[in-house]
Amino acid sequence: MDKTIPLPLSRLVTAALWLGLAALALILAAAQTALSGMQGLIGLLTLFIGAIVATFSQRFMRGDAQRERFFGLLGLLVAAVLVLTLAGNVVVFALGWVASGLLLARLIGHVRGWDEAEAAAARTRHAFLIGDSAVLAGLAILALGTGSTSLATILSSVGILPQPLLVVAALLLLTGAAARCALPPFSGWLMTSMTAPTPVSALMHAGLVNAGGFLLLRFAPLFEAAPAARLAAIAVGLLAALWGLGIMAVRSDVKRALAGSTVSQMGFMIMSCGLGAYAAALWHIVAHGLFKAWLFLGAGSAVGMRGTAPRAALGAGTVALIGAGALVVGAALAFGSAGIGGELVPLVLAGATAAMMLAAVPATRVSLASRVTLIVAVAALIAVNLLGFVFAGSLVGFEGPAVLSPAATLALLLPFLGLWLWQARLGEGARPINPALYVRLLNAGDATRAPSALQSDFQQGAVK
Amino acid sequence: MNMHAPITAAHPLTRTEVAGLVSLAARTVPPMWPLESAIAVNPLAGFEDRPFNDAVAAAAQRFGARSSLPLVSWRALQAEGRLDERSLRDAAIAHLGGTYCAWANVAPGVTKLDLLLARLSDIAPTDAPERPARLSPAAAFLAKWCGAFFDHGVAGLAMPHRELGLYRAVLALADHDPEFAALTGDEGRLLLMTVPRDPQEAIAEALAEQGEGWNDDHVALLAGLVARLPGWAGHIRWRSEHADADLVAGAPADMADLIALWLLLVRAGAADITPPVVPQNSAAEALADHFAITPATLDTRRRAHFDAIAGMDEGDLGAIFMQAAEWHHANTLVPQLQAAVRTAADRESWTNAQLVFCIDVRSEPFRRALEAQGPYQTLGYAGFFGLPMALHPHDGERRKRLLPVLLGPQHDLAESAKPGHEDEAQALTDTVVRRAEGAALFAAAKSGSSTAFATAEATGPFAALSLAARTLAPRLSDRARKAREARRAEALHPAVDGCAGHDGFSLAEKIGYAAALFRLTGLRADTARLVVLTGHGGSAVNNPYAAALDCGACGGHAGGANARVLAAMLNDGAVREGLAGEGLTIPEDTLFLAAEHNTTTDEVTIFDRAQVPPSHRAELARLEADLAAAGKANRETRAVKLGRTADDLLTGASHWGEVRPEWGLANNASFVVGPRWLTRAADLDGRSFLHSYDWQQDESGAALATILTAPMVVAQWINCQYLFSTVDNQRYGAGDKVTQNVVGGIGVVQGNGGDLKVGLPRQSLFTDDGRPYHTPQRLLTVVLAPFERVEAIIAANDILDRLFGNGWVQLVVIDPETGKARRWRQAASPMPEGASPNAISC
Repeated sequence: MDKTIPLPLSRLVTAALWLGLAALALILAAAQTALSGMQGLIGLLTLFIGAIVATFSQRFMRGDAQRERFFGLLGLLVAAVLVLTLAGNVVVFALGWVASGLLLARLIGHVRGWDEAEAAAARTRHAFLIGDSAVLAGLAILALGTGSTSLATILSSVGILPQPLLVVAALLLLTGAAARCALPPFSGWLMTSMTAPTPVSALMHAGLVNAGGFLLLRFAPLFEAAPAARLAAIAVGLLAALWGLGIMAVRSDVKRALAGSTVSQMGFMIMSCGLGAYAAALWHIVAHGLFKAWLFLGAGSAVGMRGTAPRAALGAGTVALIGAGALVVGAALAFGSAGIGGELVPLVLAGATAAMMLAAVPATRVSLASRVTLIVAVAALIAVNLLGFVFAGSLVGFEGPAVLSPAATLALLLPFLGLWLWQARLGEGARPINPALYVRLLNAGDATRAPSALQSDFQQGAVK
Repeated sequence: MNMHAPITAAHPLTRTEVAGLVSLAARTVPPMWPLESAIAVNPLAGFEDRPFNDAVAAAAQRFGARSSLPLVSWRALQAEGRLDERSLRDAAIAHLGGTYCAWANVAPGVTKLDLLLARLSDIAPTDAPERPARLSPAAAFLAKWCGAFFDHGVAGLAMPHRELGLYRAVLALADHDPEFAALTGDEGRLLLMTVPRDPQEAIAEALAEQGEGWNDDHVALLAGLVARLPGWAGHIRWRSEHADADLVAGAPADMADLIALWLLLVRAGAADITPPVVPQNSAAEALADHFAITPATLDTRRRAHFDAIAGMDEGDLGAIFMQAAEWHHANTLVPQLQAAVRTAADRESWTNAQLVFCIDVRSEPFRRALEAQGPYQTLGYAGFFGLPMALHPHDGERRKRLLPVLLGPQHDLAESAKPGHEDEAQALTDTVVRRAEGAALFAAAKSGSSTAFATAEATGPFAALSLAARTLAPRLSDRARKAREARRAEALHPAVDGCAGHDGFSLAEKIGYAAALFRLTGLRADTARLVVLTGHGGSAVNNPYAAALDCGACGGHAGGANARVLAAMLNDGAVREGLAGEGLTIPEDTLFLAAEHNTTTDEVTIFDRAQVPPSHRAELARLEADLAAAGKANRETRAVKLGRTADDLLTGASHWGEVRPEWGLANNASFVVGPRWLTRAADLDGRSFLHSYDWQQDESGAALATILTAPMVVAQWINCQYLFSTVDNQRYGAGDKVTQNVVGGIGVVQGNGGDLKVGLPRQSLFTDDGRPYHTPQRLLTVVLAPFERVEAIIAANDILDRLFGNGWVQLVVIDPETGKARRWRQAASPMPEGASPNAISC
């Protein structure tokens, strides 16, 4: 079998990833580089997750029949993501983008001779075929329109393109981002990707799906020049954020619950990009990637029975109170002199989260000392989150120009807060979830349907 | 024919009759325990009333499974020396019906045996390599709903209508499910409205309707449906027969629910009832070429011989290989034991201490390593130390059933603070509760629609630290957990005398359990100054199958608590008095200690060391040093088998990416009942369960009957689980760990969903390059006792008659006086008595 391969790829790839991580960190520290801070940060994230996943797989994949192939593909995949992250040229960027998608599909179908894995890989390829074609078309428009293949030149001269062409290009890129981020109607590929070995899922959710967000951040000047595309990003992102939460809520299997969560998180991040909340979006890409990789690699720990579903942390009354407070603070920020625009939504929700945590701790049934410990832990989380946000802001600037009016931005909070209140009421056992909605959410994360890239999660009728 | 005619004249079955059919059909799958307390079960337990080979064939048909390892794997095992040429030849001859038949001439210079040996060893396998079959749409539909219904608190939103039971809940939701509509069309929608809401009535209605091609044998028909999703069906059996009631309340389900759903799909035309047919290829051409025979020219008799051999499938050939492996093992093991009997091996040679281990195959090499350190006597006893108890953890978690699943808990003990450790115990419990509350808060925050996003962001940097620590410094990052466990053992203990609403043990019960240790193992009352009861457990991190490494006799938990309870009883003055009354006068200066052997790291923890009186401290220190040395030696031996360094075993025990922390009970092969001197000189290579037994102290045979009907049956379950999980890892096993997905907190599915996986994962049975590490062979039980006693016990116990008579377990009895060995003959053995060329030489 693989014994004929002279170089143990597993070791080689792992070592290369750690070395690459160290090298990139050194280059960035030296600061004499043309890379933007955002590119560097995403590059570090990709290499870190890649190196961790490779080291983890040394043990985890020890019995795999195609172990060396696995490591080879893993190394190539990280390399492809790095290429697209660090690329300064639109052709190189496109190559990295397409290659990473194809390599990912291969890893989803890693297990040979398994129909389900082959179907999942095909489904991924179909989704990416659409998404990548859109990206290529969008990039072609930009390159031809500006007469340059340099990304810097393109981005500084998008203004010379006519508005309709700009909007078309931006919408094409958004389509590609939505496919990569598994936003509806492209969620199917991610929801059926559990045929991939666990470490691949970790890498996928941490370093691949968020390439869509990176695309929007990288091409921010284009989107700023095409507000219609930003509105579309906000709409599709909002929808995915809420829909993904619903998928997560009904899943009883740990991996697809995580996938549902990713759909939601990516939706939120794309929405933030649309709003111009660049700092929040970048910080979300990095922190969520780490968070999700950690959860996926630890997915083997989910064994253990509880009698009931996890109880709600807070009663509906408290949630309503926090929600109302969030709206008041949000209104003050939106209409006040602080001049907060797109960042309003992520900031206010982060504030609500902090309030929820702090309000929930006193309700726990632990000793006073333990409550203090929990409060300290929560405070540390809040502080780290703030620091991360500020750090990301220092790399990309805090905001793009606002695309929504303050009132409309504030209104975006309503679905999140309203749904939260509903969740709290469900948790109190007020009444069960509507059966039809439940079935839809369950099927949205279900794999039994025939693979089709564009099969909408909302059009369940067309099953057979 | 009108499919939806109301119940017609064909008198439908009553609910009682249906219940009877359902419970018979349910037996086609064994109960499956949730992974948090994984228990080995024989996936073919429902077929044990048949001879082994028939059962394997019938089950293969019913489950669509393989009946043997692929031929190539067997040949590889032979090349590795797991079976020898002679055993294979003997097994082939036995299969052909003895020497005379085997030498029947097929062509000039070619015997029937030559043909068979060629098929076994030379001719390319005919069966196509298997592909994991995709579930049928109907099965996938039901698996989806089982996954949602049987959730234990993973999903934030529970499935609606669970309180109605599985069948009615799915009926209520199917109407909203486009997948149901796609599967069943208008038929389905109509049926959904008309079908009875009671599962048993629905089954009666379906059976009365008798669709085309339906089997008149209703049990077989229903059993065939149960077998389509054996994992979920097994889970249902666990819920209805073995689960604590409070755990499954709120979501009632029994097999009638699942069958009624299947029948609904069948009636709607979404599923058929005919079992899948496995295509067979003939090896005739290859066989003819190999011997340059032209089958057409053979006469009728020779042609029949030729066709019989050419028509054998991999299952038939594999059965011969398996028999050969079993004989190979028996022929290696039994003569060594006979030699020990004949030479009257050094029978009593201990001074330092006596240690009682679990019968588990992993105890044997450790015992040998310890005995090499000094004059220690070791014994084997069921790892729950005979105590049918459940333990209620101090932190208020659910009770743990620390006993074999065949028994029900008789005693509920509370884990409570040791005297003087109340504050520490409280602090520990507080930590546990705080962690649980923190986790609940985290779970709520990451699923709340306003809080999910900031929660992910805030956790991210800490996740990065955890990723690095757990991946790069696993032992360091696992240290806190280990320290907590050590502190826990120091501060808390299982309270023998029960407390707050739980029954402890009465004095008479304590004396009974204490006496059983002596009675069953043959441990003599003149004990050493230290007697250590050693339970065992494994250690694995982030591993759904961690409990499979723990003690099966303790219900898939570590056995330390049981050891502590029995040791406490044996140190109790009143119990000692009671034992003396039964003729068991234990020396005053004997101290019983409890310990736990970590089978992953080979470290042994001694409990309650602080309470050891100064008089015994020096001996304890020496024992601990010897245990450490034995552990080191055994770790080295095991490391070779795992293909890693001994130090790496310690890392693997703490590493969250480790898929094979240890080999578990892989390669188990035999169960030896007798005193330690019988096996002490032999290197059993970790393949044998060892139960201590002294035939001279058991005139009535009661102890032996207990050993054979309880611990041996558990060993047989384990043996069959390993055997069948190896033979067909997709159907009878859990498949590859790397694509597993934990569902509902109870088990795993592969990839995106489907049936709950049963058995053991691939990594527990196969080496890294895909060769079977476990040799699939049936348990060989060797008993040192008079023949008549064993015969009487078998005659008195149906289960033994079934297991030995049907060939599920091979039995060899060694006579203690003469050292003669006799093999128990299978009821349906094709071999005339005494004609076996392989009969163990006596």
